[in-house]
Amino acid sequence: MTDREIDEALKRVSQTPHAVEPEFLGRIAGSIKASLQPVRRLPPTWTFACGLALTCTAVAVAGAARAGFYGIEKMSLLQRALIFPVIGILFWVAATEFVNTMIPGSRSRLSPGALLGIGSVVLVGVSGLLFRDYRTDRFFSVGMVCLLTGLLHAIPAGLLSWLVLRRGFAVNPTSAGLVAGTVAGLAGVGLLELHCPNFRPFMYWYGTPPWNL
Amino acid sequence: MARYQEGDFAAATALVEGISPQLHRFFVAQLASRSDADDLLQETWLRIHRVRHTYRSGEPVLPWFYAIARHVRVDHYRKAMRTRAHEQRLAEISTAAATVSGEARPADDLRDLLAPLPESQREVIEMLKVAGMSLEEVARATSTSVGSVKQKVHRAYRKLRETMSAMGNRKGQSGGQA
Repeated sequence: MTDREIDEALKRVSQTPHAVEPEFLGRIAGSIKASLQPVRRLPPTWTFACGLALTCTAVAVAGAARAGFYGIEKMSLLQRALIFPVIGILFWVAATEFVNTMIPGSRSRLSPGALLGIGSVVLVGVSGLLFRDYRTDRFFSVGMVCLLTGLLHAIPAGLLSWLVLRRGFAVNPTSAGLVAGTVAGLAGVGLLELHCPNFRPFMYWYGTPPWNL
Repeated sequence: MARYQEGDFAAATALVEGISPQLHRFFVAQLASRSDADDLLQETWLRIHRVRHTYRSGEPVLPWFYAIARHVRVDHYRKAMRTRAHEQRLAEISTAAATVSGEARPADDLRDLLAPLPESQREVIEMLKVAGMSLEEVARATSTSVGSVKQKVHRAYRKLRETMSAMGNRKGQSGGQA
């Protein structure tokens, strides 16, 4: 049996007409008639991604303004110039994927799990290169403060993101939840970069997006 | 599709009549019975109707329909798994009743052909080879990459080759014995 023979068998099957009873189709058409009203189409992906970026940036900056910009004040120019664009790029990729998960049949470049993993590894890797304080003393006591602060801001960011995208989530709520967690987590990380003066790379474990799912 | 989004009933009816046979065949190919396929088709149209605003003009329409149909089927499968234990007895009775009343139909050729394949490969082969979608469209409908679709097709063909060769050998052996 060759591939060509399989192709021919499938072709034969595909050419066989597959009929559905017209009365049944009539009933389906009738069932949607009652609620058939014009609908407002979704805007382009970039509009949603910008909406998410604005929302999450607003949450992070508002949180840091309330708690103090100690983190960014302590950073060198090089650290500022590298860490924020990295978070920005990760955020943009996550936001675009987030929008794609809500539209059936969209092109998906990364699976939600891969996005989450890559985001976390990139964050820990970049912070490991930029911040060379590898001490691990008071890992839990200090880390829990970072985790709570990040979460307190990731939750409103996640809720506001849901508000931005509330007309979607047509097909896969689990994937959408995973990507939403990543987006919200990155908002929390952004806040911690602005606010927290603790630059130990191991502490980034507490700021990685999986905690915010 | 754009006219359907604008509330045109004639366009909606044309879509229902045009797309439904394809979607119905998709469900049948996934080993659903004809009555299950009817239910799934109806459920798919209700969901399509609810989320019709998510279709963007200019985007390929078939991946959009199939992505929704695929998720309806997955939801149905999950629900069926949950209730299987409770309904097993009932299903036996209804199958027997259907056979007696003559409602049971012989399995479709397509269903027989794709039966040896796992679900993920079966749906990809159905979309690609029967519905005539492109690799890119199948990737969109299944929320995967084109590479992953190609891999599934490759594995499906290998499995089909093995199965059909085995069937051919068996036929040959039984023919020789006769």
